[in-house]
Amino acid sequence: MTLNVPSTDAGVADVMAILVLLTEFAMLRAPLLRSQVRLYAFQSLVVTGLAIFVATSRHIDELYVLALLTFVLKVVIVPGLVMRLLPDADVDLAESSILGVASMVLVAIAVAAFAFFAVGSLHVHSVALPTSALAIAAAVVLVAFVLIILRADVVSQAIGFFSLENGVSVASLVVAAGLPLVVEVAFLFDLLVAVVVFGVIMRVHHGRANSLSTEDLDRLKG
Amino acid sequence: MGPSGIPPEGVQALQVLTIVAGAPLVSGVIAHVEGRLQGRRGPRILQPYYDLAKLFCKETVVPEQSSWVFMIGPVVAFGCYLIVPMLIPVLTTYGLPLGYMGDILGGGFILALAGFSVSLAGTETGAPYAQMGGSRAMTFGALIEPTILFVVFVVALITSTDLPYALSATVRSSASEIVRPGHVLVAIAFFLVVLVDTGRIPVETHSGTLEFGMIDEARTLEHSGSPLALLKWGAAMKQLILYTILINVFVAPWGLAASGSLGHVVLAIPALLGKAMLLGLVFAVIDNLFSKLRLFKITEFIAAAFLLAVLAVLVFYAGGG
Repeated sequence: MTLNVPSTDAGVADVMAILVLLTEFAMLRAPLLRSQVRLYAFQSLVVTGLAIFVATSRHIDELYVLALLTFVLKVVIVPGLVMRLLPDADVDLAESSILGVASMVLVAIAVAAFAFFAVGSLHVHSVALPTSALAIAAAVVLVAFVLIILRADVVSQAIGFFSLENGVSVASLVVAAGLPLVVEVAFLFDLLVAVVVFGVIMRVHHGRANSLSTEDLDRLKG
Repeated sequence: MGPSGIPPEGVQALQVLTIVAGAPLVSGVIAHVEGRLQGRRGPRILQPYYDLAKLFCKETVVPEQSSWVFMIGPVVAFGCYLIVPMLIPVLTTYGLPLGYMGDILGGGFILALAGFSVSLAGTETGAPYAQMGGSRAMTFGALIEPTILFVVFVVALITSTDLPYALSATVRSSASEIVRPGHVLVAIAFFLVVLVDTGRIPVETHSGTLEFGMIDEARTLEHSGSPLALLKWGAAMKQLILYTILINVFVAPWGLAASGSLGHVVLAIPALLGKAMLLGLVFAVIDNLFSKLRLFKITEFIAAAFLLAVLAVLVFYAGGG
């Protein structure tokens, strides 16, 4: 364990990455579906901020374009689309999940700890961001999986999937800040496709089962 | 310590005096601001002092079945709150003669002993509400304990000691110490701990009269007269002690006296009380913004504080603390 004081730059970057992780935890406990979507928008905003931070501190101009695209797509378009696709009737409150909120957070803490230990044993070094940001990004991805697994409603699962992509974005900022823009843009369009697919699932499922809970999906015939 | 300075023992006594005399003032300011925020005129700022004076003049009524524990509890608690200000940086940046007789864990033990003796005195009466309050206070005290432990771990990781003075000096040393994620997370976690331990709104209403929602407040329902005055005074002191730790160790350890000279030490007193009032303002605003959590939802709040403290340790492990 190294106990060097991180530089101010690294400290700020790490705090932003942690903010992304904390939003992920907040999604885990958010009772209202709409607040979950808002949290996703906030998380994307932090990712945008992180991209701008790396762009200014490391002078990588391409990242400004990426930040702009991230902002337009993930802060404005995707949350807006999901909000519009949410059936506006009586299903604002998410179904209760398998575990209580406190236990869910404890499980997610254990999973996040696993991510930290796993990445810690990899010894990755990066020029753009501190290595700890990579561990945090891995934790975001795993906690997103926890969200998808434990929350039994379609919106949580969609938001879990989208925020997983946010985690991957942070990781790509750490590992390959100079990644060709084309690749990044391809990721973002993947996300757009996922939004459409999840939107269709939400509408169809709500149309058939009159709820957003996935508990109705465990029978072969409806 | 120049020739014209106050001897360290004097400064130490002054630290305790500041907490003893200043605590009701800080409580009064918070209550006043809270009243204003709610559109009321609010009680006078000096009201807590009048309340204490009134209670000390009143007769003491003791429940029939209770024993000496009932009477000794408030005194023990008050004594504990007199000891803790010696261990933490209240007025000075440097440790005073008795400042190193206990570390953060030591201070935590003494605060826990105070809480325990108040709970015991309440439980001893056999009155249902006092017992309920005592048992709840102990339950939530135990639940918040892991968070406090992880906060201590992080302090140890940052400073290689567990002395509050060391962390205070580290935070003052440079900007990168303030923005380092371990410090930010642990400061927020400790803020939540203070919220739980002082019984503020997401956890408990401190001014309510409904017994079923009470935790800390219910413990003192059976006391009257001067023991009640000691309990109320002690609660105010505990609040100021926790504020002082949060301010002078974690968040804003500026304005402390760097030497024993008269001017520095005298200036440090209003600086501390001013900072504590500002912090109290934050708590008053939180009081007005949020509603009280249901009793069984408090564990979720505590889980959030625990999450922050654990993340701080994990980030250290990843080398980015």
